[in-house]
Amino acid sequence: MRLSKALLVFRKDWREVGRNWEVLTPIALVPLLFSVVIPLIAISAPGQVNTGTSREVLIESIMRGAPAGVMEMLAGFTEDQQLTYVLLVYMFAPFFLLIPVMASSVIASDSFAGEKERKTIEALLATPLTDGELLFGKMLASFVPAMAVTILSFIAYTVVVDVGTYGLFGAPLLPTLEWFLLIFLMTPALSLASIGLTVLISSRVRGFKEAQQISVVLIIPIIGLFIGQGTGALTLGPPVILALTALLAFFDLLIFRFSVLLFKREKVLTTWK
Amino acid sequence: MSEIITEGLTKRFNSFTAVDHLSFEVGEGEIFGILGPNGAGKTTTIRMLASLLTPTEGTAYVGGFDVVDDSLKVREIVGILTENPSLYDRLTAMENMEFFAEAYGVSDRQARSKKIRELLDFFDLWHRRDDKVGTYSKGMKQKLAIARALVHDPDVLFLDEPTSGLDPRSSKDIRGLMEELSRREGQTILLCTHRLEDAERLCSRVMLINEGGMVTIGTTDELRSQIAGTPILRVRLGEVSETVVDAVRSMEGVEEVVVDGNTLSMSVKDADEVTPYVVRGVVMAGGMVQSVEVLKPSLEEIYLKLVVDEDEAE
Repeated sequence: MRLSKALLVFRKDWREVGRNWEVLTPIALVPLLFSVVIPLIAISAPGQVNTGTSREVLIESIMRGAPAGVMEMLAGFTEDQQLTYVLLVYMFAPFFLLIPVMASSVIASDSFAGEKERKTIEALLATPLTDGELLFGKMLASFVPAMAVTILSFIAYTVVVDVGTYGLFGAPLLPTLEWFLLIFLMTPALSLASIGLTVLISSRVRGFKEAQQISVVLIIPIIGLFIGQGTGALTLGPPVILALTALLAFFDLLIFRFSVLLFKREKVLTTWK
Repeated sequence: MSEIITEGLTKRFNSFTAVDHLSFEVGEGEIFGILGPNGAGKTTTIRMLASLLTPTEGTAYVGGFDVVDDSLKVREIVGILTENPSLYDRLTAMENMEFFAEAYGVSDRQARSKKIRELLDFFDLWHRRDDKVGTYSKGMKQKLAIARALVHDPDVLFLDEPTSGLDPRSSKDIRGLMEELSRREGQTILLCTHRLEDAERLCSRVMLINEGGMVTIGTTDELRSQIAGTPILRVRLGEVSETVVDAVRSMEGVEEVVVDGNTLSMSVKDADEVTPYVVRGVVMAGGMVQSVEVLKPSLEEIYLKLVVDEDEAE
């Protein structure tokens, strides 16, 4: 496989994506919501719920999910500090996984199913680029922006959280080891799973919107993680993150084997809807 | 030397046979036409020859390369205009051309820019090179798609309906370009078209296909003789006399003479050879020749006779 040719496909797709508002809008809005808007609300939440039963219920429900180790670490902190720390450092982590899943599935749907839908695929397949170069270039075109958005969102989130909570803690809360592992190990594996799944889905649907909608199924395990974290059944600590990354990497290998089999010129032209 | 050779080329999709044992050869620098109704198998044939689809049976060589075993080599030497222009609407014409030039291995930046400029100039698109293709008209897209097919100077060109969507002037330009590419550059062109006018003007030989199979193949003159036997020579005179009619009837190469007013119509074996002798014979018999016309069936008539009649017979 010639890397220069895969990069050619990547650059072409990158240009196309950069001019497609249907793709850019969700990629810009969702990270903005998760990395700026929601954390700002979370930072101001403890102060807004000042007294009475609502405050107790809120604190109790959030603290119930916090890992015992964290609670021990926060033993000397005030109630507001405990609440803010648990919310922003622990509870919010699974939500952040939605960003690479959403971004990579939106771009991959446009790149694979979209190219077929817009009837541009035949001229591309007629070029002397190999199946591997085409597939790798297109996967890069989905993976790189998805990871870029994720890392930028993580930086924005870190800044918002650290600046917003500095008055409360007197020191920055992020980044932590868990967040580093989450962003630089788990999200790439998750993003690749999302791209692989989208390639599989793209071969069975008519258009990129349909592919996008179906690839949303990857959100289900993330919601599961959030519920697990919220109820205390699961903590996204380093061992869990590493285990989930290994599981995802295995899933990536499986799904990519299928994707490579599906992304053959003849199959794309004749069996892709 | 043949640039395209197929032998028993067949493509089946499950139980449906799209192309059924096609065998033909196209010489280097030849413009070869494939004619047939929708669904006849023209596009599938081109897709197999461009190594986009694998034949179910049979073999095909393009530029000496096997379309199955040397598919990358085949794609390198082939330029293709697909049914749809297949252009990226969100990219500019220049970006589309740059992408495909690089994909086809035109790595030298200067050579690439020169070629792109030359093609966009020819198709009168240079002034719109930085506009997104989505803003182009159908005809402009078609021209850009043809330019894209030529960007790497391919040895073999597959053109699926090249003049579709073009105004008469652009169609004429494209026909002129194809003639030039074939004559001066020695490029082999395989042309799929519904426009019989294009095939008649451009193709040295045509193949009629229907329901995946070959109906007939040959030069347009050969096809004409298949359906009409011989051409008709029509001579209009100032006045028709018995002497003139007898003189014409006795000539070699003239088969049947019909008199209609002042006009003599006759079947001739070879119009080019016989016409001068007929004119001389008429004049020597005292006839005054006012006009001479050779009537040959058009490719449209041949097409209707061979393809449509075949459908009706089934």
